[in-house]
Amino acid sequence: MMRGVSKRIGSIKFACLSPEEIRHMSATKIITADTYNDDGFPIDAGLMDTHLGVIEPGLMCKTCGHKVDECPGHFGHIDLAMPVIHVGYVKEIKKLLQATCRSCGRLVLTEEDVKEYRHRMDVMEELGSDAVEMREFSKETAKAASEKAQKEVCPYCGEKQYKITLDKPTTFREFREEGHKLTPKEVRERLERIPDSDLIPLGIDPRACRPEWMVLTALPVPPVTVRPSITLESGDRSEDDLTHKLVDVLRINQRLRENRDAGAPQLIVEDLWELLQYHVTTYFDNQTSGIPPARHRSGRPLKTLVQRLKGKEGRFRSNLSGKRVNFSARTVVSPDPWLSINQVGVPVYAARELTVPVVVTKDNIETLKAMVMRGPAPEGEEYRPGVNYVIRHDSRRIRVTDRNAETVAEGIEINYVVERHLMDGDVVLFNRQPSLHRMSMMAHMVKVMPGKTFRLNLCVCPPYNADFDGDEMNLHVLQSEEARAEAHILMKVQEHILSPRFGGPIIGAIHDHITGTFLLTHGDTRFDKAQTLFILSKMGNNELPEPTVIGGMEYWTGKSLFSTILPKDFDVTFKSSICQKCPKCEKEGCKYDAYVKVREGRLLMGTIDEKAIGSFKGKILDKIARDYGADMAREFLDDVTRLAIGAIMVRGFSTGIDDEDIPDEAKRQIEDKIDSTFREVDQLVASYRDGTLDQMPGRSLEETLEVEAMRKLGEARDEAGRIAGKHLGLENAAVQMAKSGARGSMLNLSQMAGCIGQQAVRGERLSRGYWNRTLPHFKKGDLGAQAKGFVKNSYKSGLTPTEFFFHSMGGREGLVDTAVRTSRSGYMQRRLINALEDLKLKQDGTVRNTADNIIQFEYGEDGIDPTRSVQGEAIDIDDVLREVLGEHKADLLTRPDESKIGGYATLEKDLMETISDEEEEYEDADFEGGGED
Amino acid sequence: MAQKDFIKGLQRKGVPEEVIVLVKDHYRNQSDLGKAAHEELVEIGLSEEQAADLLGRLIKKTVAPKKKAAPKKRAEKEEAPEPVVVYEIPDKRKEYNPFELQLLQLSEQLQLELPRRAILRIAHRLEGNDISHDELVKILTRSNQRFMDHKMDPNESAGILAAQSIGEPGTQMTMRTFHYAGVAEINVTLGLPRLIEIVDARRVPSTPMMTIYVDKELSNDLEKVKSIASNIEITTVLDLADIETDLHNMRLFIIPDMRKCEQKGIIDPLGLIQERVARLRGIVIVPEVAAETLPARAADSDIGYLCLEPKDHSFKNLQKALEMLKTAKVKGVEGITRAILRKRDDQYIIYTEGSNLREVLRIEGLDHTQVYTNSIQEVYDVLGVEAARNSIIKEASQTLEEQGLSVDIRHIMLVADLMTNDGDVKAIGRHGISGRKSSVLARAAFEITAAHLLTAAMTGEEDHLDGVAENIIVGQPVTLGTGAVNLIYAPVKKGAAE
Repeated sequence: MMRGVSKRIGSIKFACLSPEEIRHMSATKIITADTYNDDGFPIDAGLMDTHLGVIEPGLMCKTCGHKVDECPGHFGHIDLAMPVIHVGYVKEIKKLLQATCRSCGRLVLTEEDVKEYRHRMDVMEELGSDAVEMREFSKETAKAASEKAQKEVCPYCGEKQYKITLDKPTTFREFREEGHKLTPKEVRERLERIPDSDLIPLGIDPRACRPEWMVLTALPVPPVTVRPSITLESGDRSEDDLTHKLVDVLRINQRLRENRDAGAPQLIVEDLWELLQYHVTTYFDNQTSGIPPARHRSGRPLKTLVQRLKGKEGRFRSNLSGKRVNFSARTVVSPDPWLSINQVGVPVYAARELTVPVVVTKDNIETLKAMVMRGPAPEGEEYRPGVNYVIRHDSRRIRVTDRNAETVAEGIEINYVVERHLMDGDVVLFNRQPSLHRMSMMAHMVKVMPGKTFRLNLCVCPPYNADFDGDEMNLHVLQSEEARAEAHILMKVQEHILSPRFGGPIIGAIHDHITGTFLLTHGDTRFDKAQTLFILSKMGNNELPEPTVIGGMEYWTGKSLFSTILPKDFDVTFKSSICQKCPKCEKEGCKYDAYVKVREGRLLMGTIDEKAIGSFKGKILDKIARDYGADMAREFLDDVTRLAIGAIMVRGFSTGIDDEDIPDEAKRQIEDKIDSTFREVDQLVASYRDGTLDQMPGRSLEETLEVEAMRKLGEARDEAGRIAGKHLGLENAAVQMAKSGARGSMLNLSQMAGCIGQQAVRGERLSRGYWNRTLPHFKKGDLGAQAKGFVKNSYKSGLTPTEFFFHSMGGREGLVDTAVRTSRSGYMQRRLINALEDLKLKQDGTVRNTADNIIQFEYGEDGIDPTRSVQGEAIDIDDVLREVLGEHKADLLTRPDESKIGGYATLEKDLMETISDEEEEYEDADFEGGGED
Repeated sequence: MAQKDFIKGLQRKGVPEEVIVLVKDHYRNQSDLGKAAHEELVEIGLSEEQAADLLGRLIKKTVAPKKKAAPKKRAEKEEAPEPVVVYEIPDKRKEYNPFELQLLQLSEQLQLELPRRAILRIAHRLEGNDISHDELVKILTRSNQRFMDHKMDPNESAGILAAQSIGEPGTQMTMRTFHYAGVAEINVTLGLPRLIEIVDARRVPSTPMMTIYVDKELSNDLEKVKSIASNIEITTVLDLADIETDLHNMRLFIIPDMRKCEQKGIIDPLGLIQERVARLRGIVIVPEVAAETLPARAADSDIGYLCLEPKDHSFKNLQKALEMLKTAKVKGVEGITRAILRKRDDQYIIYTEGSNLREVLRIEGLDHTQVYTNSIQEVYDVLGVEAARNSIIKEASQTLEEQGLSVDIRHIMLVADLMTNDGDVKAIGRHGISGRKSSVLARAAFEITAAHLLTAAMTGEEDHLDGVAENIIVGQPVTLGTGAVNLIYAPVKKGAAE
């Protein structure tokens, strides 16, 4: 069997069709506007003539003799009674008419000038100018000529030139006397007179396109396969828009010819001529400005040629740049922590439809025979792959059914192709839109499962940006051995743990997995034998580590359990997510257990949380992926997932509204703080009113007041959060999640327990609504805190009606923002991709585009792959030093100013610091419902 | 590459070698050279005959007259006496200390490919410690090995990688336009809108801003810095005074507002305004005004007033004069609407709203090496492409960083290098890079489909199917990554393997 591409298309040349060519390639001339006769058969010389190809089964094409699907379709043509201008070229025609002599057709420039311009064009070409520059230059030439024509007579025949204008869209006028109208016929005659040699400086290639071809005398009729008619349920035929338009053209063309031949008055002929021009114009482009679009009977504008090509739904973007495929599936996704990160759970129902072609060889013929024998729907509890089709030597597909399964199986020979069902271990591509980066499409191994959803490991949620509120994902089954090999080597999930964006892990533990490891490793956790075995049993065949014996009882610490999944010679030191950022780090003596130290694969101290294993930040994950390779990192992640699940199941974990309970005393403190701030704001407003407010430089008085008030209120909110936070310790489940980086932030918590704070729209306090006030509940011109959107309550205490309204104002801005942002950033990315898609790194280390222009002499100035870089740096010096000098000496060399401990490439902001972060929090809320994600 | 072509082109035209040598450093391509005036050529060291010969060989000098006129005019303008700011370009070459030199030499001996930057980092780390030669060698070779391991594979589609890496975080950025950067008083576009602006290569950013450092000696003198700042900030007539229109007598009265003047630190507003107004065309100062025609406010003003009238009395001219007066600059730099001082690390820094790099660089008393503007186009106009390229990198990475998104700088470099590849700053989009692609199909698939196809047919363009988009359209493997190589399987005959 032949696979792959054996021949390539070298190049595609574009040119215009001459009338002769149109007639020459035409299969038949179309004369009548009728399509079908009474029996429902196509009429000869009609628009559905069988010379143009066939769309109905049973009929035979009169040109090539093939049937439906085999006949590609053939062009016909219409001879136009009078010439008509091509709308796409009106601008060019105008340029040509203006630049050339009206009688002799020469370019209105002297011989030398023409030579000069041509010479300069040659020079430009020699220097590698692109098409745009050449076009600009030829425009300049045309302009020079037309300017000269305005003032002077033709240098060749001495004819006086007149001004030529264009009445949009297709009427030319010459200002000889009272704006004489130039008929397309006259235009065509003039264009015919332009010699080839004068076209080149105007940027027209006479071999590709003679200017008179821009005025049509014959119109090609596209094959019926391009404009198929549909038979409705009622039996009526519904024609394609193009056919409708061609019918119009034919009808008017016929009337025009009759009238002209019958010697009808000039006026009538001209009217018809113009009507023909209108129909031909809209046949090409139904959105030409200046004329009403042709409409369907229902009032819908017709979709004619240009509309077919243009835009997102046009031929180019939706059929040529993006193509529909077979062997794909789409369904809702749901989580499954027992799958490996590079697996995907495929429902049986889908697996039976998706097939993999297998070539029969002497080694697999027996297994395949057995598979075919099972037919398309094998029975039994256990899933066993069956076969849907068998392809014979002559490329005939045989559908395997329950009935013929046995006979087909017996007839199988070597080199047949068997399309067997998906089975465990097959490589498939898994994808979630929007596919913003290459991690949006990764290769997974199939695991066929009951149920109706695709199942995936939670660690791959970040790269796909998936959640399970109704997200759907796509799956593609690879059909060739080459593709499978590439997917295996390049696309598997573990190959993408490190992101090319910033050189850190993008796949990692999230949510409960982080909480789980946090609970497992934080402080001095101990598990008895039963618990330990329970946790370890989740992971498979790990050995039981050495127990710690305290008081005669055997215990296992959480840290030792975590150590079982680390590679045996693994060393790392960093600060974890719960680090309090003390002014002076106590390092080994950290009282928060935030200093993580792993030596020889043993977690000696510290808590494992987001900084260790999380996506984007996970240090341990990063190091394993880098030093031990992708497969090891995959195993580690799988183990972490299971270990965390085990740990969290033993310990138990839940959060509820009582996690936000704070003592009455604290509530009172918050109240006091807020009240005193209100008073301060009132004072500010008072001082603003009597003009004693100190104006900030470069700000108006109003702005000063706003800035001050915002600052004050922000402080109050922070203070409220601090007071609330004091009473929310690490034993609190919600705090555990926030501090370990599993989910939520301390800001969220303080908003729930303390005070929600100022609501803002466009970064300012709320001000719009009623005249001079936000709501009718306040006095006009009230500038106090509560009148301008400060929410004093917490989510838990509940909001007052006005507060609730303000809060939804702020929330709405977040929603609008998200909606606007997706479209804007989508377009930016489309442009970026389009501009950069052709760049690649060549063997010599340069980055070039496909035209072989050098963009960079050395990629990124050092040729380092960002994926492999260490947070952007070419090499990890600490690591090298430790390796060469030994740990102790290397530690001594660490310079405080560049020690990388703790910090990661991502910029970390303390969420408690700024007000502006508040809005970002809204985005996390799942406003996107299940329907549209 | 361009220069090579240029030289080749000249050789083909029969231009003597010594002339080429002289010319090649001054002109970029033949058309530039063709446009050059005879005198210019003589200036760069050609003899009269050589220059004439060269021009004769290239293009007859009777090219379109319009073209010739334009550069000449510009040349005249340049000759006009303008204060040339001369400042020393600081020598930024790093001086290596002995240890760094030792490492650099060592790496050379070992024939390592380690870049200097990496070696210096190692040196910085190891400096002052007692490390044996063997260990140094070991460290360097090991570093080099890792460096080579981390190199990007050939045929990697670096472009798509960069585009995705910059585009993907776009969805996570805020739309909220304004936020302070550095100074609370100055609003700066941030987030996605700013990134789009950079990529679009807009001529003027929506919030142009400059950061200006003052000379080291002056940087602590608040008064001096203040006066520099007030010389940068634009002050218009309307900023200092009110203008009253006397329709009856067709006169304009400028009445200085002391409160405004004090704020701007101007003591003699009338004198300043008068000096400025005197230069305006079409307006004359009325020396004396009869007391009865004086508007009440002018009469009340305790520091006097200025009365003006248009040269030709007509309401139209009066209106024109009023408009001219309103925007007339009294002092300051065009385009800079506000200048604010901030103390950073013991020195005063001037932040401005609005930007005008060319003019600001002429002001004395500044540390010209540290003047910064966020307008990429201005950087390009004043300092050239390379500076513009660096400016793009800096602005884009700052924007991303501010949003808390980490994107490897190499991606941004690639975008910046592509935008500035052929000597000027081109936008990413149909007016820039994408509109200039050599492939018709790629252009048609991007935007304005019909127009591209029609012109392609007219000019008889040929699409060689080199790029990605074209090959996808025709259904062929693209020439990146695994599509760039062919595998040839040479079967080994049975028994030959052993």
